[in-house]
Amino acid sequence: MSNRILVVEDDERIRSSIALALEGEGHEVDEAASGEDALDHFAAQPSDVVLIDLMLPGMDGFECTRALRRQSAVPIIIVTARTDTHDVVAGLEAGADDYVTKPFVAKELGARIRALLRRARPTQGEPNVHTFGDLELMPEQGLLRRRDGTEVHCTRTEFRLLCELAANANKVLSREQLLDRVWGYDYFGDGRLVDVHIRRLRTKVEPDPALPRHILTVRGMGYKLVP
Amino acid sequence: MTLLFTLGAFCLSVLMGSISYFTARHYLVGGRVSTSVQQAYSNAQVVRTTLAASSPDPNAVLDSPAIRVSAPNSVLVVDGVPASTSLLVQESTIPAALRALVGSGTPGSETFLLAGQPAIAVGVPIIVPGRHASYFEVFDLSDLQHTLSVLALALVAAGLITTVLGALVGRRASLRSLRPLVGVSRAAVAIANGRLDTRLPAAVDDPDLVGLTSSFNRMVDQLQERIQRETRFTSDVSHELRSPLTTLSATLEVLEAHRDELSGRARQALSLLGDDLRRFQRMVSELLEISRSDTGSVDVVLEEVEVGELVQRAVEAGARSVPGLTRPPPVDIDGAVRHARLQVDKRRFERVMANLLENAALYGGGPTRVTVGPARAARNDARPRSADPVPPIGDASGRPAQNRLAAGGPAVRIAVEDRGPGVPETERDRVFERFYRGQAAGRRGRGTGTGLGLSLVAEHVRVCGGAVWVEEAEGGGARFVIELPLGDEPVALQGPPGSDEPGRSEEPGGFTDGRRNVREGAGP
Repeated sequence: MSNRILVVEDDERIRSSIALALEGEGHEVDEAASGEDALDHFAAQPSDVVLIDLMLPGMDGFECTRALRRQSAVPIIIVTARTDTHDVVAGLEAGADDYVTKPFVAKELGARIRALLRRARPTQGEPNVHTFGDLELMPEQGLLRRRDGTEVHCTRTEFRLLCELAANANKVLSREQLLDRVWGYDYFGDGRLVDVHIRRLRTKVEPDPALPRHILTVRGMGYKLVP
Repeated sequence: MTLLFTLGAFCLSVLMGSISYFTARHYLVGGRVSTSVQQAYSNAQVVRTTLAASSPDPNAVLDSPAIRVSAPNSVLVVDGVPASTSLLVQESTIPAALRALVGSGTPGSETFLLAGQPAIAVGVPIIVPGRHASYFEVFDLSDLQHTLSVLALALVAAGLITTVLGALVGRRASLRSLRPLVGVSRAAVAIANGRLDTRLPAAVDDPDLVGLTSSFNRMVDQLQERIQRETRFTSDVSHELRSPLTTLSATLEVLEAHRDELSGRARQALSLLGDDLRRFQRMVSELLEISRSDTGSVDVVLEEVEVGELVQRAVEAGARSVPGLTRPPPVDIDGAVRHARLQVDKRRFERVMANLLENAALYGGGPTRVTVGPARAARNDARPRSADPVPPIGDASGRPAQNRLAAGGPAVRIAVEDRGPGVPETERDRVFERFYRGQAAGRRGRGTGTGLGLSLVAEHVRVCGGAVWVEEAEGGGARFVIELPLGDEPVALQGPPGSDEPGRSEEPGGFTDGRRNVREGAGP
């Protein structure tokens, strides 16, 4: 089964070359030249992964990401040309799962995509349900819901991160450990990925995200989940 | 300027004082002399008539009531016989020169000292038929002297006060005129340090300064605009370059995936293309990194890490990116710092290690080892490279900062040694300059760096608050040493309020070179 990737990039040559490279790796590629185009494509046929360049004419990459996020938990990788923290963090806050910087190595992009797709699988050897606060986490079913039954929608990355913290409840996990287990990055991965995703989780899970009770920061060490 | 005013006041007061004094003296003394002479003459007249009328005994003449009253200090010599009206003034008291003069028939006067006091003697020859007489009168000038002394004292006092006042006025004037200059120089320093928004306040209280401040502000406006234009140019260029490079990189990979379908010659061409393209990409990346810090836009992502783990991993990762380095050199970590914590940008540090290892591989015959230890003694080599905390505009040398280290806090030293020819002392500073390649200059082709590696090392180390230098290794090779401050306090600013990141700080801006090591098959 091949994966469908939506490439949103206004520069035609870059778009074509990325499409070529990804097709060479066995993916099916849809191309969109603008944010609006991308939303139309996605509505017509949802992809498995979406690649969005932040610098788009008209609707910018951030807006496109947010719009996609509102309707789907599809894995999104943003492509940045500048490495401003603002761009990277804003893109992650808007809902992206990961990022690459131009010029990037297509092989690395392929690896990122594979990592994202693999994230669907739950980890082994887990009890069925983790409870904390008024929430129930069921890793194998891929479900997070409140006691009253309402589901809390998460991206795969957020879910994976939560599962990892829950499987190690009351234990501190360092950023490097989380980057490795959730994103597959080595020691030099970008810790901001973890930070922004923790923030996103808190807004979904904590009654008061500014004063977290379950997903806690341990200064100088990392994060931990307290049921 | 104060000095000028003081000197001026001093000279003026001396001048004025002297003029006043000498003028006063001249007139006072002159006046006294003439009144004395007049009195002497009128008395001489009386003496003459008395002498002509009566006996030639000078005592008798002087005894006459008219003389006695009006000439208390007089001497009369008649035919060589002296007489005087007072005990103090005798013939012998009269100066000899005056006596001789008057004796020869010429009237005259002379000032002299009478018992230590200034006095004036007036002599008049008395013309009486048959007699040879001289009449002298002495007038005391001591009161005049006293007056003049008081005057002199008063003038000196006034002069001193004037000088002091002059000094004060001068000081005030100089402060007032220098204050705006101090302001200007402070503004200039701030601007040179990158704060381009600095302007001088429009001087409202002094019309002379309005011209200076407005032209200064205009100059800074133009400077700022030019720098912003250059920054925009640089970032536009950067964006322009990254796009074709992305396409090139992606298409190259597609070609390389199909290299088996190519003929031998095409495959060779593809090899060359790939090598140079990657080299080109790296050069552009490095140039863009450097130009970013030139314009003062520092993107640092600091995280708190453990020294031992950081260096070990950075050496392994860095060595992987150096062609020709089959395995990473051994890393000796002093137990004292192995678990110490420091704030650093991990990715930059990895780039630093990669650059140093590559440098050792290209020019030093390969890195022999990496050592990590506490910064104990002062360095045994060239003086520290220092810079302002914020990079000056247009500084092309990328020298590291000393601010944290200069404070003397705990620090760690990481050194990369090689067994090559080493770096001669004369070049140890220059080796960190851009495009400086020393002995390697002129060599091109495979196996040579871009010339930017060490200047990037210097720049990365600088923004992390550290320092870097080169010394001689035992055995003659080169030993590049990085010193980084320890501690869990970040060098850069904290992230936005409310951010709750564990033990890290963020500057606006992030860093990545788009080349992160991904572990295939790892994770979920």
